[in-house]
Amino acid sequence: MTPVLTIRSLAVSYGSVPAVRNVSLEIAPGELRVILGANGAGKTTVLKAILGLVRPRSGEIRFRDGTDLLRLKPHEIHGLGIAWVPEGRQLWNTLTVLDNLKLGGFGDRDKRAVDRRVGEMLERFPRLGERRHQVAGSLSGGEQQMVAIARALVSAPGLLLMDEPSLGLAPLVVREVFRLVREINEMGISILMVEQNANQALKVAHWVYLLETGNIVESGSAATIGAKESVKDVFLGGHA
Amino acid sequence: MDLFLQQLANGLVIGSTYAVVAIGFALAFTVLRVINFAHPDIFMVGMFAGLVAAVEWPALGFLVVLIAGVLGAGFVGFALERTVIAPLRGRDVLMTLIGTLGVAIMLQNGMAVIAGPDPIAYPALIPRRFVDIGPVTLTLRQVLNFAICLALLALVSIYVRWTPWGRATRAIAERPDVAAAFGVNVARICQFTILLASMMGGVAAVSVGVLYGSAHAFVGLLYGLKAFICMLVAGNRYFEGVMVVGLAIGFVEALVTGYVSSSLRDAAAFFVLIGVLYFRPNGLFGSYAT
Repeated sequence: MTPVLTIRSLAVSYGSVPAVRNVSLEIAPGELRVILGANGAGKTTVLKAILGLVRPRSGEIRFRDGTDLLRLKPHEIHGLGIAWVPEGRQLWNTLTVLDNLKLGGFGDRDKRAVDRRVGEMLERFPRLGERRHQVAGSLSGGEQQMVAIARALVSAPGLLLMDEPSLGLAPLVVREVFRLVREINEMGISILMVEQNANQALKVAHWVYLLETGNIVESGSAATIGAKESVKDVFLGGHA
Repeated sequence: MDLFLQQLANGLVIGSTYAVVAIGFALAFTVLRVINFAHPDIFMVGMFAGLVAAVEWPALGFLVVLIAGVLGAGFVGFALERTVIAPLRGRDVLMTLIGTLGVAIMLQNGMAVIAGPDPIAYPALIPRRFVDIGPVTLTLRQVLNFAICLALLALVSIYVRWTPWGRATRAIAERPDVAAAFGVNVARICQFTILLASMMGGVAAVSVGVLYGSAHAFVGLLYGLKAFICMLVAGNRYFEGVMVVGLAIGFVEALVTGYVSSSLRDAAAFFVLIGVLYFRPNGLFGSYAT
């Protein structure tokens, strides 16, 4: 089966400082893969490279039938069906919830379909429905994460990139977010998620990559990676 | 009380023009992170484009002259974006500042060479008539200028709040990377933003030319300075904030003229600027991080 995304030997630098040294990975349709890594390991940079927001020094990133993402601009990459849930939500805080959701489908020419999906999101997340005319910056962290996820889903993506969706959220909300991640994946949307919360990430992932100082050092099924002592020590606080 | 109301009306008329030019500044700075020092001189080009149309085709009337102002200013704005702003966008803010300042100097002096450095009479496209509104008396030209500027401000507000491109404009202002990753063609919106600001400037410029009956190669200096102050005082978070401050600065100037001294009129805006920035360095309504 043709992978949704293929990355080979990706290297990205910020000026002379290397952030990603050698990353190769791929995601099959319907898969949920997780990149685990500590702060500064290069997780977010990998996602930004896929989105066209940073230009790699070398390597290749291909989508589905081989479309070279490195030749495309960010808005063109989004048009292929790649959506993003950024680290820290990064909503447009001065815009209303409704405007944030509508902008999620900005690149889609079928505005009726966008309106329909916005309506679906407001039904799926009743709290957002109640607060649709409120500016996004006034919502709680959990509600903001729901907006960030709903905004990404409005574009009906084939591949969803999620950057630390649990960051800064209360434990109960984190569980809710991961339940949602699993649901989205079960809808058939491929997901590449970067996380530090290994406990939760290992429960939902089909395949896990370990990223250290810009290199993929291990990869395997969630069970295999979760059983490794190094992972238990670094990410699971010494207990699985 | 009558003097106060009269000065309020006079202030709103001039303030509305400041607000239109200031919105042009604010759009460029907020969306593109560019301090477009050429904007006031694009306003000046619009004024002269209208003047040329009014002299060449006097029978065509005010509306056609307005369109000429829009086209003249829009053309120069478009060319500026393509040749200076787009190639420098994303680099240090000082580079675009110097680039647009260079264009401003070229436009001012170029126009001074073509039209001369002294004011030129603007054709009287609108009759000299007075309009009484209660205790306030305004000229028809003042009323028209105010109405035109207010309409432009309302259109900008509707554009940024209610249209998809307007939402994208605000999205770029707050988080350009996220906007791009959600399908917004940032370069195209930036291009349109400069064009929109320039064309609005062209409309306001013709209206001001008719209002004061003259055009001047260096007219942009005064409006540019006041408009820039309006943007700094308001902050760039809300375009409507810039509009309100534009009107308020015009009002303060009119009050100073009426109650203190007309020679202090131009200093009033600076006093407001210093006072506001001392207490609220990000402007009255806040600013986006740049």
